[in-house]
Amino acid sequence: MKNVAKNHILVPRRSERRFYGHGIPGVDLEQLAGKLIVVEGADGSGRSTQIARLVEWLEGSGHATVQVGLKRSTLVSEELEQAQEGNILSRTTLSLFYATDFADQLENIILPALKAGFIVLADRYIYTLMARDMVRGMDEAWLRNLYGLALEPDAVFYLNVSPEELVQRTFAKNAALDYWESGMDQGLSRDMFDSFMEYQTAMQKTFRRLQSSYGFTIVDGMRSAQDINAELQKKISAVLAGK
Amino acid sequence: MKTFAELGFPGRLIAVEGLDGSGKSTQIYLLKRWLELQELKVYFSEWNSSELVKAATSKGKKRELLTPTTFSLIHATDFADRYERHLVPLLRAGYIVLCDRYIFTAFARDVVRGCPPEWVRGIYNFAALPDLTFFFKSDLEVSLKRILDGRPQLKYFEAGMDLRLSADPYESFRIFQGRILEQYLAMSTEFNFLVVDANQVVEKQQGVVRELISQRVDLASFHRAERPVPKPRAERHARVKEEEPAP
Repeated sequence: MKNVAKNHILVPRRSERRFYGHGIPGVDLEQLAGKLIVVEGADGSGRSTQIARLVEWLEGSGHATVQVGLKRSTLVSEELEQAQEGNILSRTTLSLFYATDFADQLENIILPALKAGFIVLADRYIYTLMARDMVRGMDEAWLRNLYGLALEPDAVFYLNVSPEELVQRTFAKNAALDYWESGMDQGLSRDMFDSFMEYQTAMQKTFRRLQSSYGFTIVDGMRSAQDINAELQKKISAVLAGK
Repeated sequence: MKTFAELGFPGRLIAVEGLDGSGKSTQIYLLKRWLELQELKVYFSEWNSSELVKAATSKGKKRELLTPTTFSLIHATDFADRYERHLVPLLRAGYIVLCDRYIFTAFARDVVRGCPPEWVRGIYNFAALPDLTFFFKSDLEVSLKRILDGRPQLKYFEAGMDLRLSADPYESFRIFQGRILEQYLAMSTEFNFLVVDANQVVEKQQGVVRELISQRVDLASFHRAERPVPKPRAERHARVKEEEPAP
């Protein structure tokens, strides 16, 4: 038996809330009783596995959860998917399209769930969006203003996995590398493998840069799923206890 | 922020702004016809018209999914798409680009809907300023009458019904558009708006617009025949023949 049988259920402590910048008009931060936990990392870094385990653990401990992720909004997800397939959008457009998708989920899912006291697990957040754009040469100040609409999470975990390992994990699942995750739009190299390595290395560097200003926790993603989850659980428990 | 001329673009961007029902679309249409009939290189672009983004916007509007933030962002996406794929390349190629609404529409509307002004302006700061901006200044009642003459009802968003200012669409329109007008007027000096009295008849307004443009833009230099890069002789002849079958 895990700790499922316990009937003592911890009520999460309230945390200080703030938006990164101007935020969303008309939101009363005081009312957001839930917790926002973000898991970041490249494709193949184990995000979905970790989130699935966290959901099981949290629900077992008596907490209600909600999951969000990129490109899942009712408003623009289909259109965004279409646009990416055709590869017809220029940089600023794609960036704003993703921001719209994010804002729609923030306002229609994340904020209401937090208000209702849920624990929201976000499979990636603004940092991936910012990093992708920064790697492609977009202005950091512009991005910071844009994503000033985002709520500061209670915890952000970045699953750090080397590009070499990411390649191995991707091939263990699919026979091909993803066009966007390989940064093929940037013309780094015609060789998809080289492009993937170069792009993922640049992404990692950018994440480290963002880490210094947004202060998220870097988690060693090269360990077993179980070890990683144990570390996440320990850190999330501290967050729930208001530490 | 600089204008396209200040940035060294060979083309010129002319924007029209004004309330819904101010008659600006009629004016820019007549302006376009006038320029086209002089055989000038003209391109026209309308607010909220990018093919791909439009689908999402109309879905959002129909199902009332939009909040002030997503309303703002989806219009910015639409603008960016047109800006990067059409406006900038055409201005590089020496076109006169006419825009029915430009960034000032967002500056006015989004702020009235409650978005922070600095945030909105920051998002649009990738865009250069128009070389000329006409502001069609109409009274609220005139705008309202013009809209209702054309169709039986006010649209949900043009009446600002999403802001819950009043249950009565007409009253809501007056309050909402009144606030937008305030925003426009506050920007007028900062962005050098050329203010046109839009309560006048169509012809008078068009006369003012044409006069101002003639004074400020060297229209002759935008003639279709003048190509920035000369083509090889044979090809040039062939093209001319193709385009002008009747002498």
